[in-house]
Amino acid sequence: MKQQISTINKSTFPAKALAVVASLLIAVGVMAFAINDKPDASKTDTSYVVKKDSVASVKAFKQVYTVLMSARCMNCHPSGDIPLQGDDNHLHTMAPKRGIDGKGVYAMKCANCHQPTNTPGLHMPPGNPNWHLPPANMKMVFQGRTPRQLAQQLVDPKRNGNKGMKKLIEHADDGLVLAGWNPGDGRTLPPMSHAAFKKAWITWLTTGAYAPSAKAK
Amino acid sequence: MEANAISRRNFLKISGLAGSALCLGTYFVAEAKNENLITAANAEKAGIEMNAWIHIDTNGKVTIVDHRAEMGQGSYQSVPQIVAEELEVDLKDIDVIFGEGNQEKFGNQITGGSSTIRGSYKNLLKLGATSRVLLVTAAANKWGVPLIDCYAKSGHVFHRPTGKKFHYGELVEVASKLTPPQDIPLKTRAEYKLIGKPLNRRDSPAKTNGEAIFGLDKKLPGMLYAAVERNPRMRGKVKSFDATEALKVPGVKKVFKVKMGVFTIYREGVAVVATSTWAALQGKKALKVTWDDTGFEHINTADIYKIQHEKLKTDEGLLLQKVGNPDAAISKAAKVIDVVYQTPYQSHSAMEPVNCVAWYRPEKLEIWGPIQAPEWVQDFVSKQMKMPKKNVIVNMTFLGGGFGRKAFMDYPHEAAVISKEAGAPVQVIWKREDDLTQGPYRPGITYRCQGVIDNGEMSVAKFRMAGQNIDHWSNGKSSGKANDSTSEGFLKPYFDSIKNVSFAEVVFEAPIPAMWWRSVYASTNGFAYESFLNEMAHEANKDQLDFRRAYLKDERCQQLIDKLEKVSGWKSRDKKSGYGVAITECFNTTVGQVVKVSRQQNGKIKIDKVWAVMDCGWYVNPDIIAAQVEGSVLMGLGAATTHEITFKDGLVQQNNFYDYPMPRIADMPPVEVHIMENTADAGGVGEPGLPPFAPALTDAIFDLTGKRIRKLPFDMQTV
Amino acid sequence: MITLTVNGQKHKVDADPNMPLLWAIRDIIGLTGTKYGCGAAQCGACTVHLNGESVRSCVTKLSRAAGQQVVTIEGLSANNNHPLQQAWNELNVPQCGYCQSGQLMSAAVLLRENPQPTDQDIDDAMSGNICRCGTYQRIRSAIHLAAELQRKAMASK
Repeated sequence: MKQQISTINKSTFPAKALAVVASLLIAVGVMAFAINDKPDASKTDTSYVVKKDSVASVKAFKQVYTVLMSARCMNCHPSGDIPLQGDDNHLHTMAPKRGIDGKGVYAMKCANCHQPTNTPGLHMPPGNPNWHLPPANMKMVFQGRTPRQLAQQLVDPKRNGNKGMKKLIEHADDGLVLAGWNPGDGRTLPPMSHAAFKKAWITWLTTGAYAPSAKAK
Repeated sequence: MEANAISRRNFLKISGLAGSALCLGTYFVAEAKNENLITAANAEKAGIEMNAWIHIDTNGKVTIVDHRAEMGQGSYQSVPQIVAEELEVDLKDIDVIFGEGNQEKFGNQITGGSSTIRGSYKNLLKLGATSRVLLVTAAANKWGVPLIDCYAKSGHVFHRPTGKKFHYGELVEVASKLTPPQDIPLKTRAEYKLIGKPLNRRDSPAKTNGEAIFGLDKKLPGMLYAAVERNPRMRGKVKSFDATEALKVPGVKKVFKVKMGVFTIYREGVAVVATSTWAALQGKKALKVTWDDTGFEHINTADIYKIQHEKLKTDEGLLLQKVGNPDAAISKAAKVIDVVYQTPYQSHSAMEPVNCVAWYRPEKLEIWGPIQAPEWVQDFVSKQMKMPKKNVIVNMTFLGGGFGRKAFMDYPHEAAVISKEAGAPVQVIWKREDDLTQGPYRPGITYRCQGVIDNGEMSVAKFRMAGQNIDHWSNGKSSGKANDSTSEGFLKPYFDSIKNVSFAEVVFEAPIPAMWWRSVYASTNGFAYESFLNEMAHEANKDQLDFRRAYLKDERCQQLIDKLEKVSGWKSRDKKSGYGVAITECFNTTVGQVVKVSRQQNGKIKIDKVWAVMDCGWYVNPDIIAAQVEGSVLMGLGAATTHEITFKDGLVQQNNFYDYPMPRIADMPPVEVHIMENTADAGGVGEPGLPPFAPALTDAIFDLTGKRIRKLPFDMQTV
Repeated sequence: MITLTVNGQKHKVDADPNMPLLWAIRDIIGLTGTKYGCGAAQCGACTVHLNGESVRSCVTKLSRAAGQQVVTIEGLSANNNHPLQQAWNELNVPQCGYCQSGQLMSAAVLLRENPQPTDQDIDDAMSGNICRCGTYQRIRSAIHLAAELQRKAMASK
């Protein structure tokens, strides 16, 4: 597992892939990126171009969705204020609360148990220097969201932490997102590699970030 | 605070046995159960090694020996509270030390069966009173005044006509040479100044600033640390092991095979001895051990209950008690209520995992640890180590919980073996996982209960239980007689009022280490028998409390029911909530509980309140009693709704609190405790609050939902 | 060699930087008030303050505490007189007492950050600390009492 992560960290593959996608898109000269209202970061997003393709977009999002709804992602995006645990998404033992900043409350702050790195051993607290839930004013709930709801939420700056295209793409390499692929001993991984996820994520975003139909599951 | 910092032996030596101090104790007349009171000076003359319970030095400092373990149940407060009452000293002027394990001196020391107070309070009162009389007599002699004009108060003897006084320290030299009078009249309950009062616990301060020394806190100069990888199947052996990697861990000194006695069998493992706990644990992790798991059955939980259920269908078992003829009455009855209840195996899981310090030298083996039964440890370990009993000294530290587990002798024996092999004092630590997976456990038991309601009257109650007999296990063989705990928990007056009643044990043996667990068989019997009575009341269309009132004709039971009815507001209970009740007997104490539950907006059931009424007869400290009942309810809650030790292929499937989750603060229901006032003999306190909780809770859930729960544990989240 | 400050006193510890802080405090520095309960951050018996936060020392590496401020139960107050300690004694909270060091260290963070906690706040703060003896009802009462004692002490200053 460790080996895999260090590979991802060091790998130039995602960057290369992005460059390839971007250059291809530019080469065919398609319209510029525009998701909903212009996010404040949109000025810096001009390097990303979108070729709208609802079929490809929805197809990519289906992959993205399986990852986001996997335990490794969803457990920290709960519908309530208590994180989830385990592949069955049960409420976190000892019921730690989100707190205003997402880092817990009082004697129950995430970092009291979750160390900067994974603690070795089965059932030991996984670690990250920045372990937290989304903050109280931006809960970014995954749990219970349909594909359509989640897709719409992910690109809505009011609900995604004011992220535009660039920040959304960058978020795929966020330390906590990556932690999903380094979950600590005995935990199942998301259903695809981080590279595959990132590819699907970028594809979804750069093909218009279409939301699947309401019937999609 | 190390309660055993001065060993009892040293303190006698330091203070000087004869003359300069008053040292009062008892000695056992050989082979007799009667204890005689004696002073140290007289003991020396008579050549008797006595057990010093009370010691007063020339400064008036009083030291009392607590012969029982302090594992949370409050002996450290209750024992001095009793002695101080008759001795007429202020509690703050008393020091308490733990007695070392010694059956000859202290008699039965096992902290089990809720027996600390009920087993010794009369002696303790007598010891206090005798010491006081000796001191008052000494003062009268010194002054040359009539004894009747002298009285004791707050560690002094006063001369009433003149007001002159001596403090106790000034009197001990004379008092120690007097012969203790026998048969001193004791105070009545109305005269008590300390007993019966909710005085603060004297062990609290040391338990709030880190000073209290538990077993794991005991340190000795040059002490090494050990962790043991034991065969996860109790009867399994070590086939071979590879210590190469373990020995590479910095700090690891030695790796070797050990075996420890667990009653009649031996458990095997590989010990890693190191310079720190961490190094020992790392070394244990790095061990490669091959086990020999042949020659014994690898049991599965599903099979245990399958066998128990099957046996109960046809097997009448070994009869323990019978009134009337239940079988004949059942064969004639138009309708028989015939139900089966099932209860799970339980782990003790005290917060302080099992651990022990031993220091072996050829001429002396000293043991320190969280030990519930020091005299058993002395006896067992001396035999196993082939040492004279007097060369094995067993010291009790504070116990971070015991609940029955720490009355086993396996872990002190293992520590002794490791110390001997390591050639140094050694502390053996059991990881939480070791503590949880190695047992022993409360046995899981299945019950079949049959009854008949005849014209609204319960004419038959026939009970059979199928589950491991702890005695068979510890003796290594079946006695061929019914488990005498088969009717434990069931109130005795029922035998006078139910026309046909019987209890039988359907023998079930399993290779699982079984041990007492808080309230022992009453904890499971109580659930089955009291749930059954609630079902019978329902069948008879009677209110559960009225139903019990009709059969529990005993005056104390009637009073308890009245009290329970009153404090819980039973008669005016609201219809939206569910109310349940149960009354059980355990160690001569009767406890009734009413549990109130309601359904929350999220659909889940919540326990709103628990009312408990305890009749434990003569009692010492009502606040300690309330605390014990609060704790019993919480432990009962875990046992009823969460906890089950399961076995797969002979391996325990639970490891730590992540898969054997403890109730937490938000799970604690409000508990209101009431104590009956009466002058009857003292009953137990630490355990009897547990058995009625589960049946009262499931009765309340039935009241709310119409659903009978007959199998524990059940999930509160999905009821 | 790792330097850390425990209860205001500097210690140089020669140990594996991966050794949990718990064992360094107990076996090397010799303060045994901090307890081992589970070794997996499940029970809270090992709770100490690391720069004021109630970390579980059984999973906190010694290296994380390097150069930092650690406070253990022995350093919670000079004379066992923290409002929480007073309340714990007044209401006879401890039974076996083994978990209480951790309970107190957790409660101390709650009381510092919220001088007037509600029952819900107490649940939120204390749910990481297990007590097998069932002292929870008293812990709750004692935290309320300590809050009151703390307020009175502030008012009289």
